Amino acid sequence: MLLSVKDLCVDFSTQDGTMRAVNNVSFNIEEGKTVGLVGESGSGKSVTSLAIMGLIPDPPGKISQGEILYKEQDLVKFSDAEMRAIRGNDISMVFQEPMTSLNPVFTVGDQLSEVLMLHKNMSRKEAWEKSIELLNKVGIPNPKHSVGKYPHEMSGGQKQRVVIAMAIACEPRLLIADEPTTALDVTIQKQVLDLMLELQDQYQMGLLFITHDLGVIGDIADEVVVMYKSNVVEHNTTSKIFYQPQHPYTKSLLACRPSSDHNPKRLLTVSDFMDAQGNPLTPETSKMEKVEKDFGYDEEKNPVILEVNDLNLHFPIKAGLFRRTVDYTKAVNGVSFKLRKGKTLGLVGESGCGKTTLGRTILRLLDPTSGEIIYRGKNIADLPKYQLKALRSKMQIIFQDPYSSLNPRMTVAEIIMEPMILNNIKNSKKERFEHAQWLMKKVGLEPEQLSRYPHEFSGGQRQRISIARALAVDPEFIICDESVSALDVSVQAQVLNLLLDLQDEFGLTYIFISHDLSVINFIADEVAVMRQGEIVEMNTASMVYHQPEQEYTRTLLEAIPRGVPKDE
Amino acid sequence: MENTIKIKSRSVWSDAWDRLKRDKLAMVSLGVIIIYAVVAILSATGLLAADWDQKVGESYMAPTTEKISLLFGTDIFGYSVLRKVIHGTQIAMSVGLISTLIAIPIGISLGALAGYFGKWIDEAVVWFYTTFSSVPGIMLLMSIAFAFGKGLTTLYIALGLTSWVGLCRLIRGEVMKHKNREYVQAATAIGAGNGRKLFIHIIPNVIHLVIINASLQFQVAIKSEVILSYLGLGVTGQPSWGTMIDDAKQELAQGVWWQLAGATFAMFFVVLAFNILGDALRDALDPKLKGK
Amino acid sequence: MNGSWNYILRRLLYLIPVLLGVCLLIFVLFNLVAPDPAALLLGKHATPEQILEVRQNLGLTKPLYEQYFDVVKSAFTFDFGRSWKTKQSITTMIRLRAIPSLTVSLPAFVFSTILSILFALLVAYYRGKGIDLFVRVSCIAMMSISSLAYILFFQWFFAYKMEWFEILGYEPGFPSVLPFISLPIIIWVILSLGPDIRFYRTVILDEIYQDYVRTAKAKGLSDRKVLLKHVLRNAMIPILTYTVIQLPFLLLGALLLESFFSIPGLGDMTIEALNESDFPVLKAMAILSAVAYVTFTLIQDILYTWVDPRVKLN
Repeated sequence: MLLSVKDLCVDFSTQDGTMRAVNNVSFNIEEGKTVGLVGESGSGKSVTSLAIMGLIPDPPGKISQGEILYKEQDLVKFSDAEMRAIRGNDISMVFQEPMTSLNPVFTVGDQLSEVLMLHKNMSRKEAWEKSIELLNKVGIPNPKHSVGKYPHEMSGGQKQRVVIAMAIACEPRLLIADEPTTALDVTIQKQVLDLMLELQDQYQMGLLFITHDLGVIGDIADEVVVMYKSNVVEHNTTSKIFYQPQHPYTKSLLACRPSSDHNPKRLLTVSDFMDAQGNPLTPETSKMEKVEKDFGYDEEKNPVILEVNDLNLHFPIKAGLFRRTVDYTKAVNGVSFKLRKGKTLGLVGESGCGKTTLGRTILRLLDPTSGEIIYRGKNIADLPKYQLKALRSKMQIIFQDPYSSLNPRMTVAEIIMEPMILNNIKNSKKERFEHAQWLMKKVGLEPEQLSRYPHEFSGGQRQRISIARALAVDPEFIICDESVSALDVSVQAQVLNLLLDLQDEFGLTYIFISHDLSVINFIADEVAVMRQGEIVEMNTASMVYHQPEQEYTRTLLEAIPRGVPKDE
Repeated sequence: MENTIKIKSRSVWSDAWDRLKRDKLAMVSLGVIIIYAVVAILSATGLLAADWDQKVGESYMAPTTEKISLLFGTDIFGYSVLRKVIHGTQIAMSVGLISTLIAIPIGISLGALAGYFGKWIDEAVVWFYTTFSSVPGIMLLMSIAFAFGKGLTTLYIALGLTSWVGLCRLIRGEVMKHKNREYVQAATAIGAGNGRKLFIHIIPNVIHLVIINASLQFQVAIKSEVILSYLGLGVTGQPSWGTMIDDAKQELAQGVWWQLAGATFAMFFVVLAFNILGDALRDALDPKLKGK
Repeated sequence: MNGSWNYILRRLLYLIPVLLGVCLLIFVLFNLVAPDPAALLLGKHATPEQILEVRQNLGLTKPLYEQYFDVVKSAFTFDFGRSWKTKQSITTMIRLRAIPSLTVSLPAFVFSTILSILFALLVAYYRGKGIDLFVRVSCIAMMSISSLAYILFFQWFFAYKMEWFEILGYEPGFPSVLPFISLPIIIWVILSLGPDIRFYRTVILDEIYQDYVRTAKAKGLSDRKVLLKHVLRNAMIPILTYTVIQLPFLLLGALLLESFFSIPGLGDMTIEALNESDFPVLKAMAILSAVAYVTFTLIQDILYTWVDPRVKLN
């Protein structure tokens, strides 16, 4: 046995007393095998990995109980110096944030050489040569040149490759990867995953792969450990986890994630599988029914409400002594589409493709360079700012980040009532307050919570508040800009269900912007794929997903983790 | 609506106050500052130490516990050093308060305008404060004090006009950051205008910096008063901590230490209190920085 | 490469409006707000004719824009005219007085910077422990005592009472200068320690919580190595810019220290000019220090791009 974690408990002392972050966690990893550690934020999965590395910040953290046996030796009892000889040498780690996990002021070569010189007693020159070799191995183009680059001169995917090169430099026996691909675009994610598996195979390393995404784990892990609220709730082989899940939480994790071949009416959520006390429930089967979406429309019921024609937004690039414009960044380039009432247009693309900019331009939060935005027969693209106010009540936006999209100094009541005041909706404070209470119920929150402040809510609840704020003006269409991307999968499912319920009830029209093709497939009627400011493909969701016309769309679709156990 | 529903909710401010209350040292400092403020008010209203210019004994009497007025001894004229210290408290606190009150409105308004509107307004404000900060602090302070002539009013003006730059820079930077936050974009999306976005949304989110800044500004002003008074640019005709320390220059060689000690200690406690409170306020109001 | 020259040129050009602004500020203060220098020079019993004559001699009867132009000219030519008091050329006076100032300020600056960084590294290494708390509290306490009190006490105790140093005065040449400058240097270092340690500690701790530090630890590096290599190299960026911007103040010298210890430097000259209402000297010092300051902000910006590979001159 390479690694054996036995009854591990980690405690953190906080101002409100001791909090147990990891409770009685046990699992084993064999050489050459992959164990997936799955859980949502705060489940204790990252703390477990830091405990194995001996990197728990002490204080406030402490391993209060248990053993971590690496080749039969208990790492918990190791001295600081003994642990340092293991770290980066026998056991190494890849972190989530490639953007910040490299030191910005040292070259890639310096940082790679450092670990080799430390553990392998190489000279600077030998280490440098070996670094070039390693960069080549992890697929960095032109390694002789890249070795002298600083991290900021590389893309996110390349940086993650460098971090991986650093981790495998000393040919460790165990590699711990903490959400190594979460921050990356889906196509890059696939490349990085393939690289890690190839390296694992080559060196026969044990791999502990930590993620919130069961889809990713299915493709690569031999065994899966599911963590929930600091505890392991299920531990089994990957195929057992996927096809015969035992614990209701595992079942709900599998069900709440939309995927391209299973398209239910509503996503099942944790509350369908277990109650607040953790007792299992039987979900209503009606919800799981697969539905064929109706992609047709009715000119009466679904008239075109928004038409975008050849829309452009070009940001000038300035240079030279007098800051003259030398070129343009074409953030939105010749975009045209039509949006029908009651339907959802999914806007999908990788980071930097211009989807967010497009969304904000349609709302005139940004001013277009040229083109038309025709809303109900009126071109609003060059309407002066003061005339836009009347339109504000018709179009709304829900942002990505539930933490920065609500003013922390306002109560929820003030946040929801502000749009009513600004748009003269309801006549008195009392009526507005009653309307706010009604909206709270509509988005699944308690009206009593109106007097609270945003920071007293969870991420999912805040997103519900954002939705209530958007609904307060009774809008006709809403742009959802990555509105569920920052949420845990189980919470994401709840918010997606809510958006669909509201669409049915109020006949809302959505433009749903996301990088996540599965989410888009679940929610959208029509899908537009964006790349470099342009729409490269646009069709009904089922056409885009099953008969893509463009090579780029195909690449995107192939990169989605299938979530099918690898032993099949 | 406050009457309809009662749920204990925690605003950012009340959270900060709770954090501050837990910091014992900060609460002691706040107490010290309140005591100084009370002494200053009593002195300003003539209830305390109004008779500082009355002889209470011989010249240079050493401190003694016989009489309260002789607790810190007497100066060259036989005036009570204790009374002078109390009067100096009034001067110091008023210099701190008024110069801070001059600096804050300038700093907030210019900083907020520049940060929010950008473009030429920003260029102009940046030019303006770059100009001010290009003349090193003490030179500018001396020049202003010199130009306006001696006296207390000059102190207020000189210290007020030299200390808005830091706050202005800070507010400008923060407003620029907040302007692009999603909650402000959300306000645009619901139809809020510039005034509403700036005053209702952005400024309440940066105003805590003013409080932190003011508490540090206060003690800088108190320290600067001492230096300007020593340079002969401060108060005349009445005692201040600065003039007392200036007097001590001649007295130390004669073994007269109590005037220096009195003024130095009086100043030490209040400046220390403002320093500690300023740090604690930063920790409480800006929890990101906690533990640093 | 072209971009960086453009940047430097642009920054140089920006100095012009800033210097014009500084000149305007000084002009407003000395030529508009300040009391009539003629009255100050001649005393209370001067006749209106005498005052007018002096005003003409001083160029104060010229139109205001010409007076402003004179200020601007002096800023760009470094020709500040003559002192009213000593009748010497101010440029010469500054040249002579700069050396004693730097003799005190340069070593003091070097010592205090090195000491502060060492202390800051120490307390950052032991952050949250007893020694960290002790140093932090001491820093705040030291900063809360008036600088005048330090000078008075140290001068009285170490020079007057213990007779370890000269009380005041100055003798050029090495080592004859040492007994005169040692105590001012010690006081300068003590005065700087409080604020400097606090600043350096903050910038070091800012770095300690970054992700790359965790990566470095995961490599198996020791805490000390992580601090001295990875953290310090990043912290050097704010540290370097902070120290560079203090350099122009060294030229100005320590006003109070020079005055107390009768060191014939620029600070001492400035205080004398203040006492004598010697306008041209005060104006010259204000302009000179502003020019020095803006020059060093430019140097700071250029250095910044040199120590931080992420920043490109643009």
